[in-house]
Order: sequence, then C-alpha cells, then structure tokens
Amino acid sequence: MSRDAILGRVREALSVKTDAHVREVAKKSSHSLPVLANGPDGRTQAVKEFLPFVGDSLEDHIAAFKVLSEKLQTEFIVVPTIEEARQTLERLRQQHQWKRIGVHDHELVQSCVDQLQVEFLNTSSNYDARELEKCDVGVSGCDALIAQTASALVTNHSAGGRALSVLPPHHVVVADASQMVTTMADGFALIREKHDEKWPSFISFITGPSRTADIERVLVLGAHGPKKLTIIMIAA
Amino acid sequence: MSQSTNPTTQFQTDANRVTADDDRRSFLRSSLRGYQTTRTATQERFLNYESARIAAGDAKWEAIENLDTYLAQFADKLEARGATVHWCNDSEEARSAILEIIKKHDAQSVIKSKCMTTEEIHLNDLLEKEGFEVVESDLGEFIVQLREEAPYHFVFPAMHLKKEEINTLFQEKLKSINTNDPEELTMVAREVLRQKYLSADIGISGANFGVAETGMISITENEGNARLTTSLPKVHISLMGIEKIIPRLEDLALLLPMLATAGTGQHLTCYNSQLGGPRQEDESDGPVEMHVVLLDNHRTRLLADPEQRDALRCIRCGACLNVCPIFKNVGGHTYGTTYQGPIGSVITPHLRGLKDWKHLSHSSSLCGACSETCPVKIDLHHHLLRNRRDAAGKGQGGIGEKILMVGFTIVMRRPWLYRLAGGLGKLGHVLTKPIHGTRIDPFYAWKKTRDLDDPAKQSFKQYWKSRK
Repeated sequence: MSRDAILGRVREALSVKTDAHVREVAKKSSHSLPVLANGPDGRTQAVKEFLPFVGDSLEDHIAAFKVLSEKLQTEFIVVPTIEEARQTLERLRQQHQWKRIGVHDHELVQSCVDQLQVEFLNTSSNYDARELEKCDVGVSGCDALIAQTASALVTNHSAGGRALSVLPPHHVVVADASQMVTTMADGFALIREKHDEKWPSFISFITGPSRTADIERVLVLGAHGPKKLTIIMIAA
Repeated sequence: MSQSTNPTTQFQTDANRVTADDDRRSFLRSSLRGYQTTRTATQERFLNYESARIAAGDAKWEAIENLDTYLAQFADKLEARGATVHWCNDSEEARSAILEIIKKHDAQSVIKSKCMTTEEIHLNDLLEKEGFEVVESDLGEFIVQLREEAPYHFVFPAMHLKKEEINTLFQEKLKSINTNDPEELTMVAREVLRQKYLSADIGISGANFGVAETGMISITENEGNARLTTSLPKVHISLMGIEKIIPRLEDLALLLPMLATAGTGQHLTCYNSQLGGPRQEDESDGPVEMHVVLLDNHRTRLLADPEQRDALRCIRCGACLNVCPIFKNVGGHTYGTTYQGPIGSVITPHLRGLKDWKHLSHSSSLCGACSETCPVKIDLHHHLLRNRRDAAGKGQGGIGEKILMVGFTIVMRRPWLYRLAGGLGKLGHVLTKPIHGTRIDPFYAWKKTRDLDDPAKQSFKQYWKSRK
C-alpha cells in the first residue's frame, strides 16, 4: 500500500539526523533576541509576546479592533444593548434595501432580526444554496472576536453552516463583548473547550470583507465573497 | 516558453528576452516595491518579528523532523471524521486518484481554488483531455488560465499583466464590456464564476497546512473562492504535499499571521479556514464527501538530504521571490518551474533532477536577501551553494568547467605564472578595448552586456612591496 511505502521512505530519510549547522542557523539571529523554549508551549506564548500588542483590558481590545477594522474596511459597530443592535439592523435594512435575509437558529441573531420586515431563509437545516445566493445579506453569530487581528471566528455551528457567511454579498456578525479575546490561540482554545474532541468540520477566521489585488495590485472588495462585512458588538 | 528545448537553454533564452524588456521590468519592480512598503509597515507592528520567525520556524522543524508520526496522525484523524485519504507516490498516482473520484460521481464540471500542487502534477491538462470543464476561481489563476499560460508567481499568478491586457483578454474570451478599471474587471469575473460554484459537482482545493493533532486542512485566501469551492459542490478534493503538516491547531495562531505578513504584507489574510471532514451529522451544509490526496513526488528524496530538508519547512509565502534581484529581472515564467524564485531554485533540482535543473543554483547573486526575508528562516542562499557543490561533486559541471578549474589550480599554485597571467590580462584588456562589445571581441559573450573598468595601475603585490 502507498501509505506504508511513503511512511517507510519518510522513516528511512529521517534515520539520518538533520545537519547540526543547518539546524543551528534557523535558531540563531544576528540580534540578541528573546527566544522562548522550543515546543508547543513556547509557540503559543510567542503569539502573545512577539506578535502585535493589543493590551489586556476590554477597552484596549475594542480600540485595537476598531483601528484594524478601519484599515480592513470592516464596519465595526459597538452598541450598548440588544435593543440598539436591533435598531442598527433596521437602519441597515433601510439603507441597503434588504428584501431577503439569510439567518440561522442562534439566540442572539434571532433576537436581533425578529422584527425586521423581510423574507427569511434559515440555513440551520437543509436549504437550497441557490436561494441563499439570492439573499441580500447573511446574518450570523460567531464564536469569538479576535482583538489582535480584528477577526470574527466562526464554525458551522456558530454561523449557520459554511455558506451563510460567504455566499450573500453582505455578511453581518452579531456578537457580545464577552466574546472578545486577545489572540487567535485564545480563539482556538475556546473552540477546543466548547467542542472538545467533536470538532466542527468547518472553522474560519473572517478578517474583513472579501478582497483581491490580483489586477495591478489595486484593492477591490468583494472578489467572490461578501463586499461588505459588518460586525455589531453589544457592550453593556 | 518552448517545451521542447532543455530547461537550461530555455532559461537562458527567456532570461535574455525578459531582461531586454525594460518596460515590463519596471512594471514588475514598481509592483514589488509596493509590496515591500506594505510589508514593512505590517512587520513593524510586531513586538518582536525576529523572535516570531524563530518560533514559527520551530513549528515546522518539529513537523518535518517527526513527519512519519504526524502524517500518520493527520490521516487517521481525518479518516475518523469520515474523510478519505489517498496516499500517492507520484504525480501519476495522484492524477488517477483524482480522476477516479470525479468519474465515480459522474461529474461534469469542476471548480478549483488556488493550488500550486495541481500545477505540479499537471491536473488541468488531464481533466480537460478527459472532457471535463475545469474552472480556476482565484482571480489571478482565472486570468492566466484564460491566457493558457502558467502562473507567473506562485502567490501573485497574474502580476505580470497590465489592466489593459486583462481588458482585452476578457473582451475576447468572456465577451465582456470594454473597461480598464480593475474593480469592473473583477466584477466581470465575479459574475462569471458565481454560477460556476453553484453548478459545479466537484470542488478541488489545495491546503496551506495540515494539522496533525486534529486532522484538519487549513486554507488561506483573500477572495472567498476557496470557501465557496469547499462549501457548495457535493464533493471536496484537497491535494497537498506531505510536507504541509504542522503539529497542533494552536500553531496556526503563529503561522497564519507570519504567512500573511511575509506573503502579501497583510496582518492576516481575509479567510483562514480549517476543514476537518465532510458535512457531519449535525451540520446543515458542506460536501458529502471529502478526499485528501497526499502527494510525495520526490519530497522524501529531499527529506533524505540532512541539510536541504530545511527547505521542506517552506510555507509558500512567496516573500523570497519578491526580494530576489534575479526574479525581479528575469520574471517568473523564465524559471520554467512550478515554484519560481529562490525556493523553486532550491527544491526543483531535488524534485525533478539535479542534472536538468542545476542551472537554477546559479540564477542567484548570493546576496542572501531570500534567507533574510524568509519567515521561517530557511537558509535559502546557502542551499543554492550546496546544490552547486553537489552538482560539481557528481561531475555534472561539464567539461569546460573542469578544464577551467584545472587551469585555475595550476596558475594559483605558481606565483610566476600568476604574475604572467595578471600581466597578460592587463594587456588583453588594453588590446581589446577598441573592439569592446563587438562580435570580434574574444570575450563578446561576457562583455556584450557589461563594461570592464580599467585595472589599477599598481597591483596589490606591488603596493605591498612599496609599502615596506
């Protein structure tokens, strides 16, 4: 079987140890640098200690999230109550003339959209992708907001499947301030805790609206995915 | 690019042609300058970028040095979640594995997101020959596919093209409107491809990483095309080289920002998705089948090299191309390889044979910009030297090089002969000056594109003596 053949060749290749000099070059640097212990824990620590600093308090995190969102052209709206989140969605509905919206069974999402006068498509059970494609917007929840990268972390459970957050031309995420974490590593830890060994088949960090710069490096939003990304966060 | 000539001749011919095209070269340089500016700004936000490089490199070292354990774990975990893993020794096996899946599903059309490994095994050629419609969905890939050419750069496939050329192409092939506006051109592609996602039976993607601990592939992209490709069609096939493995899920928290920063200068790419298996029981969408095709294709040969296995740690960010003075001048197509630039020059001789590809080890100024920029600290320019050494050691240097080296040894060992040669050199320089750069100059081949300064009046030896 090819599995055994390939693994056999890998083992044979690895029976010769890596050249010590080559191994050393990768660890050394011309500057005198803080280096963490090799291995998994050192690397997780590195995410916090070497990557961009975003502070520790919620205020710091929100501020960092705002700065990056502006750069990414993510519309990041902080509201004090669910009621205001509802009003924000109503305002967006009028502004963009939404007629049909994709939603899913998610407590926060449902309580934000239930009064909108539009047609709904629910993606929490079997649905037709062609119908979803006709929606003006997809409104979903998320697992976490990542301060260091201004990302929304989603899975098929928290965001109504794989397509709701990418097929319609506008994606709206509703989140609670308690979901804000510092790094992507914190995000993974949350999902690990929530799902333990029964991982969702789809996890994604969404960082800004879909984009391309494949033509002469000119930034164009909405290459294939949403042209707009709105993140509404409720911070009491 | 001609297919019939040997790779060395093709490289030289194409390099000469491209370096003479000042317009295209300045276009290329200005876009790479733009990249450099963005990247520098992003890098500066790091608390400590240099230390982050070492930590990121460590994750890949751990994976490569324990590849047998992690590969097996990756495959077992994926299969436990209902995916099928195909182990393929070479291109041929990978092509038939993929073809078999497509045929089994009686598929008509295939949508692809960016995957350099499919270029490596020439998948599109095969599928088209078999009568399937294959559509590349990444905008850059879509453009080069319409032009029937290879990607120019493995991260920016269409970076060599001007908007006017893309306009002409779209009008010709897609009957699109006449526009030079990048946004309007992008929207033309968006509309065409939307329908393809919804109607395609099979989605083919690559993988940037394979997470051993959890049995997931990770895909990094900006456009959303890979997410659509892996969400809508009922079958998802992912093709990946065996070296893409990383130990743990949390390692992505470090590697993904490094990949983005070094690759495009973004702090994080727009979508970073981890996919582990087909649609699960409690899920509402996603493909009913997921196949992961693992490809060796001589990667184990590179792994067997205790020095150059270092290059298997590559995360394909493309940064070494962007800073390489050779790439900037000869362009991507000249390499004639799937992976261009310094990393391509290091690995191609291992993957496709040193004999035909050793010339790539010389397509380097040895400035070391590649090693310095690499986010996982691969010692790229020294590996080029190692390839040169290995080629010479195997007697592949050619007869001319051998004679030259023997002559050099004879001269260097005899001071009188060295003095004589120095004098003759000076004389030759003076005598050939009037015919410099003309065809009758005996050093025409070297001097046609170069000027040689007059030698110093006094040699170092003479200076040293006079000093005493």
